[in-house]
Amino acid sequence: MTVVEQTGAPKTTPRAGARRRPSPLGSKWTPYLFLAPAALFILVFQAVPLLQEVYLSFTRTRLLNPTKSEWVGLDNFNRIFGDPEFHRTLLITIVYVITCVVVAIGAGLVVALLLNKKFRGRGVARALVTVPWAAPGIAVALIATWMLNAQYGIVNRFLDAVGLGVPGGSILDSPRYALPAVLATTIWQLFPFTSVVLLSALQSVPQDLNEAATVDGAGRWATFRAVTWQVIKPTVGLLALLMTIWSLRRFELIWLMTKGGPVGATETLVIDLYSQAFDSKELGSAAAIGMVGVVISLIVIIGSRLVARAVEKGDVR
Amino acid sequence: MRRFRFGITARIVAVLAVLGVAVFPLYWMFVTALSSNSDLFADKPRLTPDLGQFGVFVDALAEGKAAGWLLNSLIIAVGTMVLSVGLGIPLGYALSRFSFWGKAVVTVVLLFTQMLPEALMVVPLFALFRRFELLDSLAGLILVNSAFVLPIVALILKGAIDGIPKELEEAARADGARPLTTLLRINVPLIAPSIAATAVIAFFHAWNEYVFAVTFIFNPDLQPASVGIANFIGELGTPIQTVMAVAFLFTLPAVAFYLLVQKYVVSGMTAGAVKG
Repeated sequence: MTVVEQTGAPKTTPRAGARRRPSPLGSKWTPYLFLAPAALFILVFQAVPLLQEVYLSFTRTRLLNPTKSEWVGLDNFNRIFGDPEFHRTLLITIVYVITCVVVAIGAGLVVALLLNKKFRGRGVARALVTVPWAAPGIAVALIATWMLNAQYGIVNRFLDAVGLGVPGGSILDSPRYALPAVLATTIWQLFPFTSVVLLSALQSVPQDLNEAATVDGAGRWATFRAVTWQVIKPTVGLLALLMTIWSLRRFELIWLMTKGGPVGATETLVIDLYSQAFDSKELGSAAAIGMVGVVISLIVIIGSRLVARAVEKGDVR
Repeated sequence: MRRFRFGITARIVAVLAVLGVAVFPLYWMFVTALSSNSDLFADKPRLTPDLGQFGVFVDALAEGKAAGWLLNSLIIAVGTMVLSVGLGIPLGYALSRFSFWGKAVVTVVLLFTQMLPEALMVVPLFALFRRFELLDSLAGLILVNSAFVLPIVALILKGAIDGIPKELEEAARADGARPLTTLLRINVPLIAPSIAATAVIAFFHAWNEYVFAVTFIFNPDLQPASVGIANFIGELGTPIQTVMAVAFLFTLPAVAFYLLVQKYVVSGMTAGAVKG
């Protein structure tokens, strides 16, 4: 407070000698000076490369001779959309993303509700739950691969012990179980984030409303729908958006666990684009696949904005 | 009364189960690192760490390349932290305190970058790096990692500056302080917790980064730990205990620091996304 009082004085007595008194926020160029270095950085390392990728997606360009690219118009897009394997990639991407969103948020909500009640050691429990989210993706891929190891992995040993052994042994080599295993690993890493965010949203649920609803004879589920859900709904929407965007671009966890295999069973768009670029060495097709992913993300973002706006207006409940 | 007690018990069991699921893989990494060969390949695996094997951590650092990898990761992470926070503070300040032409565009661009996969950007960036001779250099990785983590850093810091009353700055300005002085003297000390949180985010973004490192670094002596550890996957030459020991040493600082600033990280990330 003292600072304000002391410096308040010059306001009333304009200084002598200050010929060009700076406007309260400096000149109109001031904000640009503050953001110029960062903007330049993002321009060079994000905007320009993205535009180059957009261009590449309309060309046929080989990794081994990248400076020589031939304009082919929409050929890359026509080809990938006509390719049944790409349809499967799209389907796997959609299954992967939707499962991540639904299960990560669902599990996160259950954990958040569990941790929302006061009990001894709650602080420790909250901290420990965060561990998977804080662990580096590389380390997670490594330990998951080891735990799922056909011969010595703890998961297979456990499944064998309870008589549920996977036929053929290795989970990550099984076209049927590889995607669920990758999904389980992804969700293990995501649910701490959703639960911590939802837990902080739950703090703002008015307890007296909950109690009033209970006194009125509403059941637990009805109370949850009428009170809690209404408060956390925007947070759930935000989490759904974040989980979608993150899952659409997730690379290293899937790549290091399965490289998209076996026989394409875990090949999402990003995995497909990476193998097109570095295994098939077709930069044009890779860029086209990447653009499909970017457009899907854009549609999701714009769509979620429109839904959020409609909800605010009260058109949708 | 009876039902109530049951509720408590069920809750405790459920919480313990969740914690078990959350912690077990890293616990298992630790146990595997500290297993003797006979335990590892026995019919019944040992479920607790054999502390007599603790030398594996010392050996993992003393022999092989792990110490060099971790040092490279440290250099990249510190560089990224300094550069991205250094650029993010003025950007966040400009977005929070000024209204200017193009502000909406800048905000949209910052959010838009959040959806660009590294795997997509790696091809044009490779060409850029070759032209500017940034391949095989830790400085190159610092530059690109900073660019990728900068938007989230700036958005979090903008949110933090939004929370400071403007009156504090106005007083300083009335006293004739320039905007930069105001930012450094008034705002920066007040948002110190958020700066610490973004520093942790930036540090571990670079510490964990894999795609650029594996594509832009050819010299094995310059490899960071993320690439070194990823190369262990599917490779059979290195004893699994050493692999897990290195991975554990790589994971531990990330987990410890995130737990320390968790509160600010979560509120910052959601605030940055909500307000944009």
